[in-house]
Amino acid sequence: MPDGNAVANETFVVQMKSITKVYPNGVAANQGVDFNLRKGEIHALMGENGAGKSTLMKMLFGLEQPTSGEIIVNGEKLELTSPSVAIAHGIGMVHQHFMLVPSLSVAENMVLGMVPKKSGLFIDRAKAIEITRQYSEKFNLHVEPEAKVMDIPVGMKQKVEILKALVRGAKILIMDEPTAVLTSQETAELFVELKHLKDEGYTIVFISHKLNEIMEITDRLTIMRNGRSMGVYNTREVTKEQISRLMVGRDVVLSVQKDRAVPGDTVLRVRDLEYVNEWGKKMLDKVSFDVRKGEILGIAGVEGNGQKELVDMLFNFNVPNSGAATVNGTSILGLPQQKIRELGVSLVPEDRMLYGIAAGASIEENVISDRASDKRLNNGPLFNMKAIHEESDRLIREFTVLCKSRSQHVGMLSGGNIQKVVVAREFSNNPALILADQPTRGIDVGATEFIRKKLVELSRSGIAVLLVSADLNEVMELSDSLIVMHNGRIAAYFDDTSGLTDEIMGEYMLGLKQQSDAEVRRVCHD
Amino acid sequence: MTKKRQLRFTIIRSLVAILIALLVATILIFISSAGATFAEKLDATREALKQMLAGPVFRFSKKNGTAFEAKRLADILAAMIPTTFTGLSVCIMFSANQFNLGAEGGIMLGAFVSAMAAIYLPLPAWLHPVAAVLLGGIAVAVTMLLPALLKTKLNVSEMVCSLMLNYIIMYVIKFLMNTYLADKTRGQIMSYPFKETSAIAPIVDNAVFSGAKLSWGFVIAIVAVILCGLFMYRSRWGYAIRMIGINQDFAKYSGMKVGMIIVLSQVLGGFLAGAGGGIEMLGRYTSFSWSALPGYGWTGITIAILAGNNPYMVPFAAFFMAYLSKGCDLMATYAKVPAQLIDIVQGVIFLFFAAEQFLSGYRQKLVVKSAEEEIKLAKARKEGVTNA
Repeated sequence: MPDGNAVANETFVVQMKSITKVYPNGVAANQGVDFNLRKGEIHALMGENGAGKSTLMKMLFGLEQPTSGEIIVNGEKLELTSPSVAIAHGIGMVHQHFMLVPSLSVAENMVLGMVPKKSGLFIDRAKAIEITRQYSEKFNLHVEPEAKVMDIPVGMKQKVEILKALVRGAKILIMDEPTAVLTSQETAELFVELKHLKDEGYTIVFISHKLNEIMEITDRLTIMRNGRSMGVYNTREVTKEQISRLMVGRDVVLSVQKDRAVPGDTVLRVRDLEYVNEWGKKMLDKVSFDVRKGEILGIAGVEGNGQKELVDMLFNFNVPNSGAATVNGTSILGLPQQKIRELGVSLVPEDRMLYGIAAGASIEENVISDRASDKRLNNGPLFNMKAIHEESDRLIREFTVLCKSRSQHVGMLSGGNIQKVVVAREFSNNPALILADQPTRGIDVGATEFIRKKLVELSRSGIAVLLVSADLNEVMELSDSLIVMHNGRIAAYFDDTSGLTDEIMGEYMLGLKQQSDAEVRRVCHD
Repeated sequence: MTKKRQLRFTIIRSLVAILIALLVATILIFISSAGATFAEKLDATREALKQMLAGPVFRFSKKNGTAFEAKRLADILAAMIPTTFTGLSVCIMFSANQFNLGAEGGIMLGAFVSAMAAIYLPLPAWLHPVAAVLLGGIAVAVTMLLPALLKTKLNVSEMVCSLMLNYIIMYVIKFLMNTYLADKTRGQIMSYPFKETSAIAPIVDNAVFSGAKLSWGFVIAIVAVILCGLFMYRSRWGYAIRMIGINQDFAKYSGMKVGMIIVLSQVLGGFLAGAGGGIEMLGRYTSFSWSALPGYGWTGITIAILAGNNPYMVPFAAFFMAYLSKGCDLMATYAKVPAQLIDIVQGVIFLFFAAEQFLSGYRQKLVVKSAEEEIKLAKARKEGVTNA
């Protein structure tokens, strides 16, 4: 049970005291978080995406500075102004996305920034290779010093990252979702190595939301939710169910009024989609479902369980290995985006800055991007500027985009207003099906409420809506029926969301439970 | 930031870049100027600067004092013709984020094809130059399919491909000239004379400008600027080109035919460069004698960058470059300063424009100001709502 500072005078290698971090855009990523590390432990930092784990660790590694609170390492209060300060105090980080130079060899990557020199001028390659060998053997982390990083497998890249930290004298290793990119064999291998490091007296922070791994390898765990710490526990003393309840829960409930759905004909039909990604990992495993006119089908799940891949397939940013997807009977797999849009499919993309907008263009240029060739907006070869101005002014008004004028650059707006520009376009082109992928992530409460209301309103007017969201609150409030994805599979289908609790959802989201095939198959309304 | 503020920033940045470049030039002139003492050197520098800055449109003589010189101005306007076309060409290609450097070879190929049409096609007077220039443009447009299709189909770098293409074009033309097309009765490698029907007439009688060759090509160039401006800012294709240049993923997601538009931008850029070559050739020369790349394409890149890829700004940038070039020529002639200095001035200007971070502190201030105003606006609206 809550262990906290069980022994008052216990010595910690790291103490982070009431850390608060507010980003310049106003997001409070951490609020009064306490985090302690004992020497020689493997400590899990758990929480959903956006819970504030990464922010907390970025501050420990000097990538970000806390707004308030203090960090004490080995009894010394520190101002960690940059990663080099953190490294000097024995803190190393293994990033989820490797920070390696692909065209250089393993040995060269190892010594980057601390290159051994020959006669003070030339790079001593032999020495670099020797250093790599020496550390590789000492820590039992096998790498090939002379191979180019781009030629080695992912598992080995990770070892290079770990060794890089160790060479720089790290005694505390922060590992950001280290198993996310690994196969199960590589994961098993990594765990052996981590236990070995622990025996040598190293302290490891293990960021993850995979319950089984946490139970297997960690000594203690800290759970975060919505920027706050939900407590520190000894791994042996908690159950998976308890963790799941602490991790996945709802704080604020914004309720949206909605009438009962009256579903019509099937609009989107997805059958047996399968996709194996470039590292050979199965991201979609026989995914089948239907979305009908006038209903919102929600897809819940911890991020990285195939939701992104699914949406990519439905808008042809990727092609599945097998399976089918049709909109009103027409296959959409592999179809150019223009044709998909002609079928009445709209997408509110997950990454709004990458796909949703052109930041360097005006609001007007952004809201007409899907209809620039419309007869309505053109006069022969030239644009009908009057019609375009009217259209954009109308959308700005209807979607309450806060701006000075239609000619303002979209990149200068706040996150919520940027998302309003995206939905203004996607909701106003007479869609038959709206794919809403994380439609309210990271935006302010006002914009969130506005977008949710619009989604409900549109679905009640007869539009089919597929809502993908990692926000439990959102997906449970808005959906008429919902499916839960875990490990690329549909773990559960609920045709009615009213009786659902966070506990039930959590168990399916974290893979503790799985409905039978027959139960899941009910989502196909053949 | 609003467009107005953005424009203000662009203009201020351009002026500061030019000012710094001139300052650097002044220092270099001072160093390289003739004179034994400091005062003499200073005098020489002043004289050189006078020639460079005012010389292009004024003549200084001890007898008649300073007088406006129409011929020199006409020379500058004439020099703008080919670079306006290459500038427009580069504008359109760079707007789509396609770093095609083929305007250089393009203008030479266009000039060559138009020249051949001028020599060998029997056509009536009004039709002949039109057909010759169009042929030149089309030839280059077709040639630009090569880097464009290689880019869209095989993801070959259009930059490398078009750069190398310039030299292929140059050597093929040289080969054809040397082997088949040269007029053997002349003392140097040059083609047979163009048919008289093919000439693009001068705007005003030559006598007034005492030999300046300002042809109707200048008017065509200005018309081309307006057409390109309309195309880029008032048509769906120009819009697609700009959106692809800003964010290609966004354009694809929005349902634009990205591959087709990328090809279109380069074909159109090729056409402009080729037509520019034809107009230059028929408006200024009577036979084809280019034996090397003319350099107009490279100047076109500088102009496009100075103009911020905005077609409407191209003639101003072209005028600036032509003025500077003329000034440096005069400086070399009358003030004994090496003409190579213009390359250095160009280089410095280029440097400051290409450096995105230049004056970014000032830009940041403008951004912050915009943001503050936005917040104020939001507050005002909210209060308005609660009051109501």
